[in-house]
Amino acid sequence: MALKKQEQRPVAEKGEHIIARHLIEDDSIKEEKNLVIDGVDVSGRWNTFILSRVDSEFDRSFFREVKDTVVGSRINRCWQCGMCTASCTVTPLYRRFNPRAFIYMMQLGNLKELKKYIDVAWRCVGCYKCSQRCPKQVNPAEMMEALGLVIKKYFPEEVQSKLKVDEDVKKIYDDMILGHGRLDLAKLHTSAMQKTGRTKELLGKIERDAIFKMAKDGRAFSILRLGKPHNWNSSKEAMGNYLKNLNTIENSEA
Amino acid sequence: MDKLSENQAAYYPGCALLTIDRAYNNSSKLVSKKMGVELVEIPDYNCCGIGEMKSKGAASMYMPLRNMMLAKNRLGSKNLVMACSVCYHEFRRSIARVRENKNELETVNAIFKEAGEFGEEYIPDGEARHILEFLYNEKGVDEVKRNTVKPLTGLKVAPYYGCLYSRPSMYTFTDKKPQMDNSERPRFMHDFLEAIGAETVFYGNEVQCCGGRNLIQDEETSFTLCSQTISKAKKAGADVIALICPKCAGALDVNQPKIVEKFGKDSELPIVYLTQLMALAFGFSKKEAEFGDMISDPLKALKEKGF
Repeated sequence: MALKKQEQRPVAEKGEHIIARHLIEDDSIKEEKNLVIDGVDVSGRWNTFILSRVDSEFDRSFFREVKDTVVGSRINRCWQCGMCTASCTVTPLYRRFNPRAFIYMMQLGNLKELKKYIDVAWRCVGCYKCSQRCPKQVNPAEMMEALGLVIKKYFPEEVQSKLKVDEDVKKIYDDMILGHGRLDLAKLHTSAMQKTGRTKELLGKIERDAIFKMAKDGRAFSILRLGKPHNWNSSKEAMGNYLKNLNTIENSEA
Repeated sequence: MDKLSENQAAYYPGCALLTIDRAYNNSSKLVSKKMGVELVEIPDYNCCGIGEMKSKGAASMYMPLRNMMLAKNRLGSKNLVMACSVCYHEFRRSIARVRENKNELETVNAIFKEAGEFGEEYIPDGEARHILEFLYNEKGVDEVKRNTVKPLTGLKVAPYYGCLYSRPSMYTFTDKKPQMDNSERPRFMHDFLEAIGAETVFYGNEVQCCGGRNLIQDEETSFTLCSQTISKAKKAGADVIALICPKCAGALDVNQPKIVEKFGKDSELPIVYLTQLMALAFGFSKKEAEFGDMISDPLKALKEKGF
C-alpha cells in the first residue's frame, strides 16, 4: 500500500528544487527520474548530483576597474552571504536576476558568465532593500549600476541589440538632467514613448483622459514655466569636463 | 534675497512637485504653515538626478549638493527640507558619501570651483530633511492634534512609505539617530494619521517598492508590484492609500487605469498624499488640498465617508 502511494508521487523537473538553478548548466546536473534501490524509491531530488566545475584564467584587473568607480567602491567587502538576493524585489519576478551572483562574477572578472545575463542585468528597481539588509554595507543596489557600466564597456554590441530601450531612456534622462538642469516629466514621457515605438498608445483612451485632465486643471501649462536654473551652463560645462577627464569606466567618452 | 527668519525653512521643491504633482506641493505648504513653519523655495534650484545619474561618479553628488550650497548662500540655511522621497534619498546619499570620503569631497569641490558659481567651498555640515520627518521632529504629533479641527473619523487609511524615505540606513542613519524613523517598520505616518483621527490599517506592503524607477523601460514589473500593494491594502479594508513620494504617485495613481485594465477591479483604490489628508483635517477645503488632481478619484471615496 505504502509503495503504491510513493509511485504516484509527482516527479520534479530536473534540478527544479535547486535555488538559483539558472546558475548551473544543464549538463552539470545528474538526476535519475525513476530510481529504485533495494525496493526504495529514490526518484527526484534524493539522487540529484551537481558536477563540480573548475573556472580559471579570470581577468583580475577587472576587479580594480569596478573598485575605482563611485558606485562599485565597496565590491571588496562582499562575502557572498546572499542577503541581497533574498531581500530583492525583482528576483521573485525574474528568477535569473541574482545580485549576489552578479557581484561574484564581477569580483572574479568572469565575463563569459556575465554575458549570459545582459538581458536581466538592468532590471534593478533601486528599492535599496539589499543595501539596507547587507551585513557588510556593500551597497548592492549601487553595485548594479556598476554592473551596467561594466556591461556597457565590454559588450557594446549586445547593449545595442538587447538593451536599446534602456540606453535610449538613459540618454533622454542625461540630455534633460545634465543639459537643462531640470526634468520635464511631460517631455520625458512623450519622448520615451516615441523612442520605444509606442506613440500610438498616447492616443489611447487612458492616456488621452490623463492629458485632458491635466490640460483642464492647468498642470500641463505649469510645465512651460519650469524653465532652467540661471548659470546652469557653467555647472554643465564643469560636469562635462569632469566626466571627460575621468580615468575610470565612468568616463563619458569611453 | 533675505535670510530666513526663525519660523521659516528652506524648501527644495523638485521638478515633479512644481508641475504635475502640485497637489503635494501646495498641501505640504498649507500644512507646514498651519503648524508654524513657512516653507521658502530656494531660487534657481536644479534637478537632484533622480537616481539616473548614479553611474556618473562625483557628478551625481554635485547635483544635489549645488542645491545645498544655494540654500546656504542665498537663504542662509544649513538645512534643506524637501517633500519628494527620491530627492531626499539623493541628497542624503551625497551628503553621507562626502562626509565619509575625503577624496570625493575634494572632487566635488573641484567641480564647484570650475563652475565658479559660488565663491566658497562646500562643507558638509547641513542635513537634508524629509517633510514628514521634519514636521514630526520639529513640531511633533501634539501640534498636529492641536490643529485638527475636522477629524477624519472613520476613514481607513493604508500608509505607504515606499522605498527611499527610510532606506537605506547607511544614508538616512535611521539606526544611529533615535529621532529618525525606523528603516524596516516606519511609524511617523501612522502617528500623523492617527493624530488627525483617521484609522490606519496593517497590510504588509508599507515599505514595498512600486517599481517607479523602471516605469518607462519595464512597465510590467511596476504594474505587478503596484497591483500587489493596492490589492493587499484593499483586502485589509483601506478606503485610501496615503503616499509621501511623487514617484509612487506616478506608479500607483497615474497608471492606475492601466493597472486596473490588466489586473482587474481588485487593484482599484483611491490614492492621496498624506499632506492632503492633513490639510483636510486642518480645515482646508478639498479644492485647496487639490484632491481633484489625483487620477484615481479620491473625491468619490471621501464623499462616501461624509467628508
